[in-house]
Amino acid sequence: MQPCSREMQAMNSLLNPTLQDQQIQTPPLDHPTSSHDDFLEQMLSTLPSCSWSDLKSPWDPPKSDETDNNVGFHYDEILASKLRHHQINGGDGGGSSPAAAAMKIMMQQQMMLTMGVSTGATGSHHQNDVVDCSSFKSLNQQGGEGSNSMQALFNGFSAGSLHETNQSHHFHHPQTPNFGATARTVMNQSQASGSTTPAPAQPKQRVRARRGQATDPHSIAERLRRERIAERMKALQELVPNANKTDKASMLDEIIDYVKFLQLQVKVLSMSRLGGAAAVAPLVAEGGGGRVQTTANGGGSSGGNQTSGNNDSVAVTEHQVAKLMEEDMGSAMQYLQGKGLCLMPISLATAISTSTCHSRNPMMKGALLQSNGEGPSSPSMSVLTVQSATPTMGNGGL
Amino acid sequence: MCPHTSLKQQFLKKWIMGLQRCSFSKKNMSILERKKTIKLSADIAMASARNGTTRWSRALISNASKDGSDNRLVQQILGPDSNTPAVATTTNKARTRRASVCKKIVKRSHQIRRRRRKCVAAAPVKAVTSSISKHLVRKRTQVLKTLIPGGEFMDEICLIEETLDYITSLRVQVDVMRSVASACFSQS
Repeated sequence: MQPCSREMQAMNSLLNPTLQDQQIQTPPLDHPTSSHDDFLEQMLSTLPSCSWSDLKSPWDPPKSDETDNNVGFHYDEILASKLRHHQINGGDGGGSSPAAAAMKIMMQQQMMLTMGVSTGATGSHHQNDVVDCSSFKSLNQQGGEGSNSMQALFNGFSAGSLHETNQSHHFHHPQTPNFGATARTVMNQSQASGSTTPAPAQPKQRVRARRGQATDPHSIAERLRRERIAERMKALQELVPNANKTDKASMLDEIIDYVKFLQLQVKVLSMSRLGGAAAVAPLVAEGGGGRVQTTANGGGSSGGNQTSGNNDSVAVTEHQVAKLMEEDMGSAMQYLQGKGLCLMPISLATAISTSTCHSRNPMMKGALLQSNGEGPSSPSMSVLTVQSATPTMGNGGL
Repeated sequence: MCPHTSLKQQFLKKWIMGLQRCSFSKKNMSILERKKTIKLSADIAMASARNGTTRWSRALISNASKDGSDNRLVQQILGPDSNTPAVATTTNKARTRRASVCKKIVKRSHQIRRRRRKCVAAAPVKAVTSSISKHLVRKRTQVLKTLIPGGEFMDEICLIEETLDYITSLRVQVDVMRSVASACFSQS
């Protein structure tokens, strides 16, 4: 029985990191009052008795799979179904042979250990797994290909963990932090935008969530999807300025504003590129380009709304002025004047806006443009037009 | 942006090539047309710099080549790469199919969620706020889909990926155009 016990030990050490998550779930499910010890005893007693051969086929895909997530989810589903199967079959296998009892005690100790270590250092524990596994694999290799169904199972385990080592401990680490992350994201989502697996209390929600992951393929897909989205949102946060928002909706808002701003910049820059080709002074030639609002410094959603409101009218005016400018600059200027607009170099405009901005902001209807976000690097680069309700600003600066 | 210098160079090269080819065709263009050509050539150069790896680039090119007037321009700029529109159409179909499948899954999950919510008594305040925020998020994803070229066919995950890529390429575009413009004007 000795090699068997060693194998069992190693196998359980492998099972532990995955079990420590399921065990949190499954006891509340079927045995709300039983401790981990009882469950473990039950499981261990029924484990050798039941047929492992049915598990063999599910383990084969993980051998071929290289991806972390697939392996992880296979483990979860299979183990969970396996455990449930055990529990349904009942704890009738009391199986108290002395070797088995000693094994159980050792296992319990290990369980306690792993429970204590659970969320934290999976690294050292993982090394144990790897060590056990490698010794295990040598055992298997000595025994030849698994005619014994148990050995076949261990092959599956060892292959899985070999994958782990190849992929530099990705398996366990994303698994537990993922659970933690999903729990956290679930909780965050519940705080911010509502949870999809509602439960009366938060810790119970976390338990529920994990268990739901094991049972329901739909919730697994959902969770996977949400994890991916969260990952990518994090990557986006670094790109987009002012992205310290935790809320998904406001994050999306910032992203939208930023994309609009960048597209606008491209548009304006493509207009300003014409300046060199025009016969007239570059300053004037770019005049048609610019009567649109930007949120250069993250001016906020109000700025964005105004842009969307002004854009259509602005585009029309823009076209008109451009057309006029081809024929005659004078007529273009008159047209602008009629609209209550003017052209001025950006340096002057920034000076005016900074001096009057805070006092006149509620009064000003509209649009300050800086196509060059870095300030007045060259006055010919962009044109600023000021459109305001106050008559003093209206027709000045020609 | 140091990591993007290769991208910048690629974009610059293609853009200048495209501009040269365009300027040979028409000598007298209006300002608006010129602006459009410049912007279009810049966009297409940017998109082709991705070599069809991202969806937004393919969508951009296919949209541009749909227009009869712009098609010539696109062909000129892209040159011998005439197979990109074909790739775009096939991926479009695959995209829509995938999108419909994803929608089915999402719908099913919504139904299950609703059923679960009925079973478990959630606090009414929480449900209301969650529904409001979900509505907001959905509205904003709609807006984002209109912004990103080809965004209507993407599901949320791909949309955010594409946004990431699109933002970086827009930034590159802006930087290059700005530096070119300042270089031109500093000389004149």
